[in-house]
Amino acid sequence: MNTLHYGWRNLWRNTRRTCITLAAVTLSTAILIASYGLMDGLMQHAISNATNLVVGEVQVHAQGYRGDHSIYKALNRPDLILRAAKKYDVAAAPRRYGYGLVAVGTKSAGARFWGVAPALERNTFDLAQRLEEGRFLSETSQRAVVLGHKLARSLKAKIGSEIVVVVQAADGSLGNDLYTVTGILKASGDSIDRNAALIHAADFDELFVSGGRIHEVALNSRGKLSIERLTEVLSIAAPEEETMSWRQLLPEVSDMVNLFDVSILIFGLIFLLAAGMGVMNTMLMATYERIREFGILKALGATPWRIIMDVATEALVLAALGTALGTILGLAGSYYLQEVGLDLSIFAGTYSVAGVAFDPIWRATISAKMVYLPVVLMLIIGLVASLYPAALAARLDPVRAIHRP
Amino acid sequence: MANIVSLQKVTKNYGQGEVLTQALRGIDLIVEAGEFTAMAGPSGSGKSTLLNIIGGLDRPTSGRVEVDGREINTLSKTELSLLRRERIGFIFQSYNLIPVLTALENAEYVLMLQGIPTAERRERVREVLKEVGLEGLENRYPRQLSGGQQQRVAIARAIVSAPALVLADEPTANVDSETGRALLDLMRNLNEEKGVTFFFSTHEEAVMKRARRLLQIRDGVIFNDQAH
Repeated sequence: MNTLHYGWRNLWRNTRRTCITLAAVTLSTAILIASYGLMDGLMQHAISNATNLVVGEVQVHAQGYRGDHSIYKALNRPDLILRAAKKYDVAAAPRRYGYGLVAVGTKSAGARFWGVAPALERNTFDLAQRLEEGRFLSETSQRAVVLGHKLARSLKAKIGSEIVVVVQAADGSLGNDLYTVTGILKASGDSIDRNAALIHAADFDELFVSGGRIHEVALNSRGKLSIERLTEVLSIAAPEEETMSWRQLLPEVSDMVNLFDVSILIFGLIFLLAAGMGVMNTMLMATYERIREFGILKALGATPWRIIMDVATEALVLAALGTALGTILGLAGSYYLQEVGLDLSIFAGTYSVAGVAFDPIWRATISAKMVYLPVVLMLIIGLVASLYPAALAARLDPVRAIHRP
Repeated sequence: MANIVSLQKVTKNYGQGEVLTQALRGIDLIVEAGEFTAMAGPSGSGKSTLLNIIGGLDRPTSGRVEVDGREINTLSKTELSLLRRERIGFIFQSYNLIPVLTALENAEYVLMLQGIPTAERRERVREVLKEVGLEGLENRYPRQLSGGQQQRVAIARAIVSAPALVLADEPTANVDSETGRALLDLMRNLNEEKGVTFFFSTHEEAVMKRARRLLQIRDGVIFNDQAH
């Protein structure tokens, strides 16, 4: 017999009460593991969408371009950036940007034109695959345009629709042309959905008479290089340009990710508090029922510390058993949510938060952190919850306790 | 013989002012090693209070109490616990076994507190259980034992660590007279053969007659102390 053995036997003095508390601890842990998995899935999805869809891990612009999207504020030496990217085997997509008007029939709207190199864009980002209908731009200039889906809707544009384009060219002239809609993007973030008109880089240069100006190079190593390392490499390669990570480009998403760790801790603590109260209640009831017994143990020579150990061990055994069962249940739930996910499409289609698009199928991720955090929290709370009843038992006057009816 | 218990002018009061109760009024007492002493008196005479004070479960209001050479009043709660663990065995009127532990585990508990290795304590406990007539019943839980058998487990628990003193509070009060007689025989044998010092309270005539020394207490005062 040892403390663990004794604690285990004591737990089953009142089977029903122990089972109820065990169920509470098990469910709390399971729900927490599954919900942490879902929240982590959301964060991973947010980061993945932020970096892989269109923004990239790092972007390079000319100094001041972010504050003033002038067509003249182009990168001085985009070739240096592309060379550095190639050296480190990092995919890079050079982009041109300009503003103008688009019209289909009587419908017209303002648009932001993206002059992209389709092959590089496809190689670097997922945007080319994110089409609601139609196809992405082909490798050669064909006067084709891919529209953001809200822009397409406001223009009532369909695949094959002809769009009249009017822009202020870089040389001061008025550029205009006729483009054909070849693709309409799925929801990809609010600014893209409302304004984006993607055209071939060559078409852009001709339309805007921009002389091959590149305004942005977006880079995506897909995790091969750390953000910090990639930023450092590019800053060295092109020191006169402005290099920014996605965390600087999308501060709302970055803040959301930063707050995630704190918020799951707070969420977990609130949630587990209820389970902790259950453990405390069980241990208090068990202590009050065994006051006489604690008096006997003290008479036999058990020190106050020993009594605390006995009660705390009992609570820990209860919490550990519940946590173990909860972990199994939670992992099974997380696995289901990872494979099948939660389909939120009946509440909303694709939606976006802080400019980042999210799929309506919400999937969980399974990671060690999402498991050990609830487990450790539950064990700590189980232990803390036992301290009050343990202190009560330890402070009992043995004479009074023994003579308690 | 060495003194196991030494009390000088020990008083114990409960309450204060008009509701002051004087449970013990200046008790002087010496108990030597190897004694088999009974303390008799009516309910409320101070028997249990005196046992509690000797056992370090309670502290006197005034006076000096020494048990196994250590002055009770100077010891902290933890030191008192350790004194009880190492040097004093307790037998209670209503057995007070731990219901979730078997006879063997109940008797083993004090040895576990003392940190004695499992194999050694198991061997000692089996030996003692055999001595108290419980061979073959080691793995029974208290609910599976009769009152007399439970009290034998309590005796085994009290003596297994070879304490300097065993205190028993009316150990035969909850069993029938035949079982009580058998228990008393057991305690007496342990005293005679193993030299265990017993100090117990009783209000039963038959038990008083079996003691080798009888103290009579009334209103917190020992008024008679005679050897048989």
